[in-house]
Amino acid sequence: MTRMFVDAWDPSYGSSFEGGEGGDGPASSSSAQVDVDVEVAAAEWAPIDVPAGARAPDVVFLVDGVRRNDAGLWTAEEDGTSYAGLAASYAAGVVRCDLARGIAELAGARVARGLFTASPSATDVQAGSVRYEVHRISGAGEASKLPAAVQAPLTALEIEISAAARDGGSDGADLLIVDGPLRNRRQLPRTIGYVKTQQKHYLPAAQEAIVPRLRPGQRTPVFHLGTVWGGWTWYLRLPGSSGAPWSGIVRVECSPELTAEQAIELADVSVATLPRFASSAYKDPRAPQNLVPIAGLERRLRGMLGDARVLHRALSLATSAAR
Amino acid sequence: MIPVSDETSPVGRVLGTADATPLQFWTAVTPGSYLQLDDVVVTKRDLPDREPVTIAGVVTQVRARHEGAQFDSDVFAIADGTLPAMVQEAAEITTTRVDPELYVPPAPGAVVHRASGDARDAALHFDRMERRVPMGTGRDGVPVFLNADFLDGTRGAHVSISGISGVATKTSFATFLLYSVFRSGQLGADGTNARALIFNVKGEDLLFLDHPNTKLDDRTREAYALLGLPAAPFPDVRVYAPPRAGESSGAPDVASRLTGVDSFYWTLAEFCDLKLLPYVFADADDERQQYTMVVHSVTAHLNRYAVPAEGGISIDGKRISSYQDLVDHIVEQLTDDDTRSTWAGSAVNMGTVNAFARRMINSKRDLSRLIRGDLAQRRPHQIKTADSAQVTVVDLHNLPDRAQRFVVGVTLKTEFEEKEKSGTGRPLLFVVLDELNKYAPREGSSPIKEVLLDIAERGRSLGVILIGAQQTASEVERRIVTNSAIRVVGRLDPAEASRPEYGFLPPAMRQRALLARPGTMFVNQPDIPVPLCVEFPFPAWATRKSESGPPPAETLRSIVQGADPFAVVGGRPGADDDIPF
Repeated sequence: MTRMFVDAWDPSYGSSFEGGEGGDGPASSSSAQVDVDVEVAAAEWAPIDVPAGARAPDVVFLVDGVRRNDAGLWTAEEDGTSYAGLAASYAAGVVRCDLARGIAELAGARVARGLFTASPSATDVQAGSVRYEVHRISGAGEASKLPAAVQAPLTALEIEISAAARDGGSDGADLLIVDGPLRNRRQLPRTIGYVKTQQKHYLPAAQEAIVPRLRPGQRTPVFHLGTVWGGWTWYLRLPGSSGAPWSGIVRVECSPELTAEQAIELADVSVATLPRFASSAYKDPRAPQNLVPIAGLERRLRGMLGDARVLHRALSLATSAAR
Repeated sequence: MIPVSDETSPVGRVLGTADATPLQFWTAVTPGSYLQLDDVVVTKRDLPDREPVTIAGVVTQVRARHEGAQFDSDVFAIADGTLPAMVQEAAEITTTRVDPELYVPPAPGAVVHRASGDARDAALHFDRMERRVPMGTGRDGVPVFLNADFLDGTRGAHVSISGISGVATKTSFATFLLYSVFRSGQLGADGTNARALIFNVKGEDLLFLDHPNTKLDDRTREAYALLGLPAAPFPDVRVYAPPRAGESSGAPDVASRLTGVDSFYWTLAEFCDLKLLPYVFADADDERQQYTMVVHSVTAHLNRYAVPAEGGISIDGKRISSYQDLVDHIVEQLTDDDTRSTWAGSAVNMGTVNAFARRMINSKRDLSRLIRGDLAQRRPHQIKTADSAQVTVVDLHNLPDRAQRFVVGVTLKTEFEEKEKSGTGRPLLFVVLDELNKYAPREGSSPIKEVLLDIAERGRSLGVILIGAQQTASEVERRIVTNSAIRVVGRLDPAEASRPEYGFLPPAMRQRALLARPGTMFVNQPDIPVPLCVEFPFPAWATRKSESGPPPAETLRSIVQGADPFAVVGGRPGADDDIPF
C-alpha cells in the first residue's frame, strides 16, 4: 500500500489567487467571434431599461459551490517515486428564493471530499468519520495543477444538485442562476450563467463604450459569442456600484441552443430579477456582484465543509496510522 | 431512577457550541417542536462500565436566532426571501436532578426528551416527597407540589411571600396554601387538627373565607379537581373584629359581613395582669427612646397593685373603668412629685416622664375601644385559637396603626406563650401576617419583632408556622427571612428584584417576576434547586361581599344572639304553640 504524508504547510498557502477585483474592467481582449447585431443593429446600440411587462419570477434558484483544500499530501511509491496529492472538501448547494412568500431556503446541498493525485497506487483515505475518495488525474500531476482538478467534480455536483432541487419544487416559470459561466451546465432549462468578474474584452470598441454608460438596472443588447463555451450574452449593471466605469457590471449568459427571441426574453427577466439580489458594500467585500443569496449559501456551505483544522489533523492521523 | 421513555417525542439535542456543564446546559430545539420556560426535560449520558446517568432539568431561558445572518439588517433580506437563513431555537436547561449522583455533563448531541408523568415527578423531586401539598399547576398545566416536611416543621418551617401590593396576590396565595394544607389530607391528622390565625389588615377581603364564591366557574372547579381539592369555602372559620368605637355595647365593627362575627377586646384587669402596656409602645422607634424604662416600671406597678373590680380595676383606692381614665390616672401620678418615684423609680427626669405621658395620652384615642372596663368580663372576648374554629380571622383593617400593632403583638405573644406552656408541637398553628416589614423591620427592635423572631427561630419545634407576606423582603428582619424554608415571590418591583434577598431566583426568573400576572408565583423550596413557577386557582371562597354566596348555617346563630328574643318570639305566627312541657 502506498504510504502518504500530509504536508505540514497550511494548504491555503499553496492555493492560487482566483479572480480579479470587481471594480476593474477586462484586462485582456478576446479573439472570439462576436455577433452584435442580434437584438439591435450594431450602430443603434444603447442601454436598455427593464421592459414594462418584465417581472421577476416568483421562484428563483441560485446554485453555487465552494471548495477548500484540506491538506497537501505526498505519496511514497513502491518504486521510490513520489506524487503530490491534494485532499479537498467541496460542496454545492441550491437556494430556493420564494420571492412571493418571502422565504429563502436551502433546497439542497451536498458535501463531497476527494483526494486528487496522479499516483497510480493511491487508495481512499478514511480520516476519522469522513472519507476522501481518490480522483486519479492524468499526466504528471504537478502540485500546482491539482487545485484546478477539483473544479470538474464540483461542477458535476452543482449540476446534479440543481436538477434535483428543481425536481422538488418547480412551477415551470422559475429561473435558475448559476454562479460563474454556464460552460457544460447549458442543458439545464431556464438557466442563466452569472459572471461576476470581467477578464476579457468581447465587444468591439464602439459597442463596448455603451457598457460604462449603463445605469443601475439597465443592460446592453444581447450579443452572440462564438467561442467553445460561448452563447448568448449581455452585460448589466447592478445597483450599489461605486461609480467607477466598470463597477457593478456583470455579464450574464444563456445557452446557445436557445433562439435569439428566447435569449432576449431571458435577458429581460434577468434585468428585472438580479438587481434585487445585489449586495451592499459594507456587508460584502465583493459587493454588489456577489449576490446576497449566494453569499448566504456560501456561508452555509463553508459551515458544512467542517472545521479545516479538525480535518487536517484527522488526515495526519489517518496517514500516519496507515504507515 | 428517573424513567426515560423513548416513546416520548424528543424535543432537541444538547448543543455543542456552548459549554455543557453538569448543572446547566443548552439544548437546540428540533425544528417543528418547541420548549417554553419551566418545561421539564430529561436526557441521558452513557458512561463506560457504569449505568447511564439521567440528567433532568427545567428550562430557564429560551432563545431563537437566525443562523446564517451576519448583520442585524440581514433580517430584512431574509424576510424578503433573498438570503437563506435558518431559525434556530435553543433552550437553557438548569439541572434539577442527576441520577445516579454522578455529576458529568450531558454529551453534546444527546437527545433531550420532554419529561412527563413519572419522569416529570422525578425531575422535580416529587417522587421523593412523602407528603406533598398541592400548591397549583405549573406552566404545563400539571400539578406542582410543596414538600410538607418543609412546612410543618419536620425539616423546616415558615413561608415568606414577597411581591408588590395589588398584583402579587400574596394573601390569596397564603390562604390557598392554608386551604390546601387543611383539605388535601396530605398532613393526615396534623392537617385536620391544625389551626390558622389570619390577620386581616386590608379591606374586608378575608372576612368571607367561609362563604362560597358565586363567581366560581367550571374551569376553576376542574382546576381544584386536578389538584385533588374540593372547590369549597373554608368549613370552619371564626371572625373577630374590634368593637365599634364610641359605643358601649361592644358590637363588632364590620361593614359587610353581618353574621358570625365576634368582637374582641381586653379588659383593664387583663391589661394590667398580663403586662400589656409595652405593646402600646410597639413602634420600632419607641424602643430607642429613654422612656422604655418608665414603660417597664409602670407595667410592673400596674401588675402589682391593680385589683380587678367589676370589669374595671381599682388602684391606689381609685376605681377605674375605662382606658382613658387609666391613662389620666397614670399621667396624674407621674406628674405628681410625691407619687412619681413609686411609679417610675427615682432616677427618672421630668423630660422622660413627659415624653412617656405624651405618648400615653396619644394612645387614648387609638386603644380605648380595645381596652375596656365597661364590658362583661365573663363574656368570651379574647382571641384564642385553641378554643376557636380551625381558621381564626382577626380583622384589623379599620384600626389605626398603633392599635394594629397592639393587637398583633398581644395576640401573637399570648398564642406563643400558650404553645410554650403546652410544650408540644401539635396541633400546628399557622400564622398569616401581611406587612411583615412593618412588624419586623430590619432596623431597630420592638416587642412585636421579638415575638416574631421567637416564632421564626423556635416556632418550628413548637408547631407555630409563620406565613409572612411583605412587599419587600429586603426590609424585613434578615433572621426571619433566612429562617423561612419556603420562599415565594409574586410580581416584584424592579429595584427590589435586584436585591440579594432574591438570590434564589435565576436571572431569567428574576426578570419574569417583574411581569408576573396575578395568580402566578415563583416558589422556592429546599428540595428543588430551581424555583417553580406556580399558577394557583381562583379562590373557591368569596373575597368580597359582591361575590359571596349564602353564609354557612353555623354563623347564623349570632343573628339570634344579636336580636331581641322577645321580638323573635312575638313575631312568630300562630299563638297556638303548645307549652313545651
